[in-house]
Amino acid sequence: MYILQALDLHKSFKKTKVLKGITLQLAKGEVLAIIGPSGSGKSTLLRCLNRLETIDSGVIEIDGEIMVRNDPKGRAVYSSEKDIARIRRKMGMVFQNFNLFPHKSVLENLMLAPMLVQRIDAVKAKERALALLDKVGLSDKVHNYPFELSGGQQQRVAIARALAMNPEIMCFDEPTSALDPELTGEVLNVMKDLASDKMTMIVVTHEIGFAREVADRVIFMDDGLIVEQGIAEDVLLNPQHERTKTFLSTVLMAR
Amino acid sequence: MLEYILSLLPTMLGGTVITLKLFAFTLVMALPIGVVFAIARLSSLRFLNYFMQFYIWVFRGTPLLLQLLFIYYGLGIVGIKIDRFTAAVLSFVLNYSAYLAEIYRAGIQSIDRGQFEAADVLGLTRFQTMTRIILPQMFKRVLPPISNEVINLIKDTALVYAIGMSELLRVAKTASVRDFSFIPFFTAAIFYLLMIGLVQQFFKWLEAKYDYYR
Repeated sequence: MYILQALDLHKSFKKTKVLKGITLQLAKGEVLAIIGPSGSGKSTLLRCLNRLETIDSGVIEIDGEIMVRNDPKGRAVYSSEKDIARIRRKMGMVFQNFNLFPHKSVLENLMLAPMLVQRIDAVKAKERALALLDKVGLSDKVHNYPFELSGGQQQRVAIARALAMNPEIMCFDEPTSALDPELTGEVLNVMKDLASDKMTMIVVTHEIGFAREVADRVIFMDDGLIVEQGIAEDVLLNPQHERTKTFLSTVLMAR
Repeated sequence: MLEYILSLLPTMLGGTVITLKLFAFTLVMALPIGVVFAIARLSSLRFLNYFMQFYIWVFRGTPLLLQLLFIYYGLGIVGIKIDRFTAAVLSFVLNYSAYLAEIYRAGIQSIDRGQFEAADVLGLTRFQTMTRIILPQMFKRVLPPISNEVINLIKDTALVYAIGMSELLRVAKTASVRDFSFIPFFTAAIFYLLMIGLVQQFFKWLEAKYDYYR
C-alpha cells in the first residue's frame, strides 16, 4: 500500500517542458531521495506533489485520496479546495531558504499553524512546540528570533515547524543547499533521526553521501524524466545509465 | 510683540483644531482603506485589478484641490448637499487612499515569495496569510514612505481654505492682512513645525518598536 502515488506527471512553464511524464510511488515509512543536475525538474516535481505548482496532466493520490486526476481529454483536474487543503495537511515542507517567519519568535513560528489551522489551544501547542525544539536540539533558542540564529539552526526550526503539524510525509527541497558546508551536518543529523523514527520522507538533495546513508530508494532525474531509480546503494554505487554515471562522478569529484 | 502673538493664539488654536480634526479623520480611514485598495490592486480578479488602476490614476492624476472643489461645489450643483467638513474628509480620504495603496502594494510585493509559500504549505488561509504573515512585515517596511505621506497630509489640510473652512493657515492669513504683519505667518509656521515634529517623533518610536526583528 502506497502513501503517495504519482502517475505520468506533465508540467510546462510557458513553452518549456519541465516534467515529461513522471511516475513514482512512495511506501509508508520510506525515505526517497531525488537527485539530478540543476534544471532537471526535481524541485518542480516536489513542488507539484504538494501543489505549490500545478501540473498540466497526470494523477496524484496521497494517503488514498485523489488530489488531481485527468479529465477525458487528458488535462489535470484538481479536487475541491477543501479536499486539497485536507490532503495537503498530511504533507510537511522544508524549503531551501528556510522561510521562517522573521517577525515571530522561534516558539511562535512553531505554534502559529497548529493554533490557526488545527485549532489547538495555546497550552497544547506550546507543549508540542517545546518537545519538537528539544528534538531538534534548540531548546535554548525558544525565545530567539530567526535572524539571531545560524542557517543550520534556522533550518532545524523550519523542520520542527513542519513537524508541528503532524504530517504523514515530510518533503525537503534541497534543505542544505543554502548552508555553509560546516552547518549541513546538524541539519542532516536531524533528518537522519526522523528517518530512523520511520517518518516517510521525500528529499531533493545534492548530498550524495546522505542519500546513500539514509535513503531507501533513489531517483535520478534528468531533463524532466526519471532516468534511473532503485535501491539507494544500487543507483549510487553501481549506476547503469551513462547520464547517472556522469552526474555522480562530477558531483563526487567536486567534493 | 509677545502680547500680539498671545492675542493671535485663540483663533490660531481654533484653526489648528480644524486642521487636526481633518488630519485625524483622514488618517483613521485612509490608512486601512489603502490596505484594502492595495490588496484589490494585486487581485487576480481582472475587473478589480483594472478598477483599482483606474481609481489610482484618477486620484493621483488630478489636483487634490480640484477633487476638493468638485466634491463640495460640484456635488452641490447636482443637488447632493454635504457640509464642508464631510466634503473635506471625503476628498482627502479618497485621495490619500490612492497614494497609500501604492505604497502598501510596493511593501507587499517586496515580501519574499517564500513567506507566502511557507504559510500556504502550513495550511493557512489566504486571509490568515495576509493578516498574520504578510501585512505585519509589510508595515515595518513601509513606515518611512508612510511618514512622508502623513507629514504631507498635515500641510495639505491648508487646502480646505478653498471651501471656506477656517483652518490654521487661513486664520493666519486673515490676521496678517488685517494687522498688516508677517508675525501671524511666522506663528503658523511654528504650529506646523510643532505638529510635524510630533509626527516625526511618533514614527521614530514606531520604527524602534519594529526593530526587534530583521
